Amino acid sequence: MVDPIVMDMGIVALTGALATIAGAAEDLESDVGSQSNPNSQVQLAAQMNFPHRIFNKAISGEPPAYGLWCASGATVASVLMAKEMSIFFAIAIGSFVAAIILGLFSVTAHMGRTASQKRFKQPAYMDMVIGHVPSIMAHGYIAIFCIVAFSYIMDHFMGHPFPLPLLAFLWGVAAGAIGSSTGDVHYGAEREFQNQPFGCGLNAAFSGNIVRKGEAGLRNGIDNVWACAKLGGPLTGLALGMTVFLDNWRTTVFEGMNTIIAGLIIVMILILANRMVEVKARKAYGPYKDEDGGEVA
Amino acid sequence: MIDIMTIILITLGGILIGVGVHFIPVGGAPAAMAQATGVGTGTVQLAAGAGLTGLISAGFMYNHLAISGTFTGLDYLMVVASGAVGSMIMITVTMFVGQLVYVYGVGVPPVSAKVKKDPITGDVQDLYVSRGTEGHGVPTVSFVSGTIGGLLGGLGGSMIYVQLMQIVGDPSNSGAVALAGIFATGVFYVNSVLASYNIGGTIEGFHDPKFKRVPKAIVSCLIASLLCAIIAVPIMGGVV
Amino acid sequence: MSTAAGGPAGGGIAPTQMIILGAVGGLAGIYLTMLNQAMDTTIFSFLGGIGAIFAAVWGADAVRRVCSYGLGTGVPSIGMVALGMGIVATMFGLTLPEVSGIPTIAGPIISFIVAAIIGLLIGLMSNKILMMNIPIMEKSMVEIAGAGALVMIGLSTAIAGSFDIVAIMPAVVETGFIALVFIGGAMTILHPFNACLGPDEKQDRTLGVAVSKGALIMALAGFASLAVESMDAMSGALTTIVGLVIWVVYFKRFMKHSHRDSYLVTGTGLLPTEEELE
Repeated sequence: MVDPIVMDMGIVALTGALATIAGAAEDLESDVGSQSNPNSQVQLAAQMNFPHRIFNKAISGEPPAYGLWCASGATVASVLMAKEMSIFFAIAIGSFVAAIILGLFSVTAHMGRTASQKRFKQPAYMDMVIGHVPSIMAHGYIAIFCIVAFSYIMDHFMGHPFPLPLLAFLWGVAAGAIGSSTGDVHYGAEREFQNQPFGCGLNAAFSGNIVRKGEAGLRNGIDNVWACAKLGGPLTGLALGMTVFLDNWRTTVFEGMNTIIAGLIIVMILILANRMVEVKARKAYGPYKDEDGGEVA
Repeated sequence: MIDIMTIILITLGGILIGVGVHFIPVGGAPAAMAQATGVGTGTVQLAAGAGLTGLISAGFMYNHLAISGTFTGLDYLMVVASGAVGSMIMITVTMFVGQLVYVYGVGVPPVSAKVKKDPITGDVQDLYVSRGTEGHGVPTVSFVSGTIGGLLGGLGGSMIYVQLMQIVGDPSNSGAVALAGIFATGVFYVNSVLASYNIGGTIEGFHDPKFKRVPKAIVSCLIASLLCAIIAVPIMGGVV
Repeated sequence: MSTAAGGPAGGGIAPTQMIILGAVGGLAGIYLTMLNQAMDTTIFSFLGGIGAIFAAVWGADAVRRVCSYGLGTGVPSIGMVALGMGIVATMFGLTLPEVSGIPTIAGPIISFIVAAIIGLLIGLMSNKILMMNIPIMEKSMVEIAGAGALVMIGLSTAIAGSFDIVAIMPAVVETGFIALVFIGGAMTILHPFNACLGPDEKQDRTLGVAVSKGALIMALAGFASLAVESMDAMSGALTTIVGLVIWVVYFKRFMKHSHRDSYLVTGTGLLPTEEELE
């Protein structure tokens, strides 16, 4: 007889693992298509006389967008489950439908924004639409599948009271919020501005002057995801994975008031860890100005 | 009869959400380019992400505790505390990982441009602000402020959810659970958007001069939440 | 994002016409589903979806008008607040007849009016207390909240076959499809303007996006209704098919408008040269 806690911990670990993959795929999807806040620079670039070949996927902010994809995926999946399809296929087909919807929203966002920039002479390249949308859908599919899957696990194995589409919607919003807060910064502050020295801080005067040329030819969203997959994507995965794992872990391992105390201890540890990173960064990079206000870096 | 206490508590939940949003350090689009202190996303987005994570925790805990049939005052505290902690975990993890991206991915030290010294650690701030920006990353004071914001947001969202469930008083009624969940989400969005209009884009935390606008948000959220609460009570009563 | 900040947005269809189109079209679609009860069938459920599309177009136009002033925060926020108000008003309006004994037929109207009142209040507070000083804020908030409520009632009706809360509770709320209705409704209202934002935005193109996205969500609602026991499979399939047909028509039209409005649509090519940009 296996101790039930072993089984429970296995389930918690599985949700954490799925969330990690979901987070990474979510961020990379938003880098291929350029969504959320960093996209303001892609939008601005054409206006500043820098036409480009970067996908302009301004569907909406990532949280509502992922809320919709995950709610659609979970809706289709729960209809199929009600029709007694196997759970795995139901979630897979649901996520596929959601990924198609994501692709369709991407096309309208890109074409719409490009057409609205006529006076800045930003051309609409159709090969970009054909090339980027499948990649967006593929990354999106992984993210949606994992989010719907761990929502299903929480629903059916951990006994969460919310129905599947609602739970998937809420986790989709959380995943979008995390993705746009963490990984997107790597895309927005580093990858889009690799023409500036590392760590210089981006003077607001550089706005819109994004990198438009790639290693070979003109840079596009697929070049961007290649770079962001090295830091931004994995870290986003870490963030969503930690959120899901830690939150489920404390309610599985502990009982009663201890769940709250455990949660508060986790929060304290993170505050201290943040302080350590802050001190380390200040020491490593040093000030930009000396005491009298002169430039040192 | 309409329960006055329920309406007061739902309204209070709405106000807590509105105030909580002001604590969360968000820099909007500039922060995504490391041009402003705070997390690089929109106010509503991050607040909603954190608050709804708290709602998921609170829903789980309420179901766990109330299904036995009795729901005591201590249980109530447990549920709202669980929501608050769930929301705090989400926001601290997000800010911490965001910080890692700023430090290791972008190469800028976390710094606030609104104060000369960090009120918590006493570190000098202005020398570390790079040229042409308004700070970057999440310095300790903003981090602590964000944690408080998560606490208030999670608390507010869970309070609304629990109050709605208490009207029905039947945790096994799946219709009531879903309705209370989506209703709490709706009220959450109304209050967090009102608060974000008050902030107007970016805020660094409780040390930011914009934080003085909080009273306006309290008044607005009070009115909006009160209206929602008065409407909510007959809805939930009519479900069963 | 304030790239479109400036003055009021113009366009072919005047705001008043949009209001009439959205409110009348939306309510008509919702009320025509009563043919279901009259003829003891569920085949007319798709009309709820059509009503939702009308309301979504209206909502998208209102978002378009208010967001061209620059809100200081993203376009999506106004859509989310609209649906936040909308969901509260919708559930209140649909439940009230059940609780107080008013005829069920009054439900959608009550929802619509309550949504407008909450919208007015939020608009007033934004301008008077939060000092946003956007001249059309009150009016737009009323419109967006009203449109949001109609979109949600329309989609819920398409799923449940009736706007009676007795049908909606088990079909839409208990199953969790309310999440799709909530966020799907929000996205049909906020996505069109967000997707077409820019100085050369055109009303017909933006509203075309609203129709095509509304139709897509309607198709999903039809699929969702397959899981509802009181609905026969034919009605759900019909809603999906009608939604997909409308989507195809309007997606094609959108692509045509994009070609018309773009500086240049090309298979592939280099960036415009310096001389071209002069």
